[in-house]
Amino acid sequence: MIKKLLPLLFIGLMLAFACNQGPKETTEETTADSVLLAVATFNTDASAYVDQPVWIEGTAYHVCKHGGKRMFIVGDNDSVMVEITTGPDVVMFDEALVGSRVNVLGILKEERIDDKYLNEWEAEVMTPEENHEAGLHEGTKGHEDQPDEDKLEQINDLREQLKESGNDYLSFYSIEAIYFEELPTEEDTTEEPSAE
Amino acid sequence: MKRKTLRRWNNAIHRDIGYLAVGLTIIYALSGIIMNHFKSGDFLHPDYSKRYEDFQVQLPETGKVDKTYVLKILEQVGEEDNYKSHVMGNGYVQIFLHTGYLYVDLTNGEAQQEIKSPRYLLKEFNLLHYNNIKKWFTWFSDVYAAALIVLAITGLFILRGKNGILHRGAWLTAAGIIIPAIIILIYA
Repeated sequence: MIKKLLPLLFIGLMLAFACNQGPKETTEETTADSVLLAVATFNTDASAYVDQPVWIEGTAYHVCKHGGKRMFIVGDNDSVMVEITTGPDVVMFDEALVGSRVNVLGILKEERIDDKYLNEWEAEVMTPEENHEAGLHEGTKGHEDQPDEDKLEQINDLREQLKESGNDYLSFYSIEAIYFEELPTEEDTTEEPSAE
Repeated sequence: MKRKTLRRWNNAIHRDIGYLAVGLTIIYALSGIIMNHFKSGDFLHPDYSKRYEDFQVQLPETGKVDKTYVLKILEQVGEEDNYKSHVMGNGYVQIFLHTGYLYVDLTNGEAQQEIKSPRYLLKEFNLLHYNNIKKWFTWFSDVYAAALIVLAITGLFILRGKNGILHRGAWLTAAGIIIPAIIILIYA
């Protein structure tokens, strides 16, 4: 019986080995030409690195509960939150990460919000049954559990911001994760006093 | 004779695929119930059960919120060994624990603790249901979905006679198609 199972085990191991090769090489290549960004200055620095690989470190503040597709990280305070999204190599973030220090490598993405986007989003909120096929704006920048009134308020705020900016669009930045690691907590890194 | 052979094959396919599909069917069904109730707002999180407790804590005597103050608060609620990190907000501090968090309003000392625990097994089932493994599991679950279609079709032809597809089975199969069709017509 065992002999019959050995070839299957061998094939399984080969597949697992093959599956683990790709992302590792990609990560190593990406690491070489990536920059380190800080959460505190992310919003001002991000525009220079759109579609480029970046590293960022922060505390996981929130993980979206719908399949863990998005995570928000902060620095020492919550004044700046950086959105980390899943990608082909990182398929989810576990809720258990909340409160942990994380180090993330990913591609910096820009999302442009213009009048057309806001009009479509508003239509989607007002008449979801007619606009459900668009499905583009649900939770894009708003929170997944936001009531419709809050979404409409957010849309109006964005309209105001857009008007004040004098530009055709507002830019929002996020990072599509390629790799991330949970860093040890202070307690984990504190060395035990030696017996000497 | 040929019909008999076909039916024998049909039943054998239904039987063996049925055995193979039992595990994933139970996983998807249980996870589906969780997802249903999560989406309708009965659960706060599909993978974790959460409850909240409100209480009052002391404000920092010096007015400064540091780790010493945070640990003192945790001592007050018996969670000093559960500290993970803390983040300052505008007028509050959020203390992350290994089993949730403690939110302290620094203007009045009102605090709320979230206590969460993983729904073991269901959490793993949800991982499969959400296809959060991606890669090969996408194909694996596609094969499973195809197997369900085969099960449904072969299931129609297992029995002959008054309980077969030409009699009682026809009515029940029609009901099973008409009910979702009506729901789609009303809501879609």
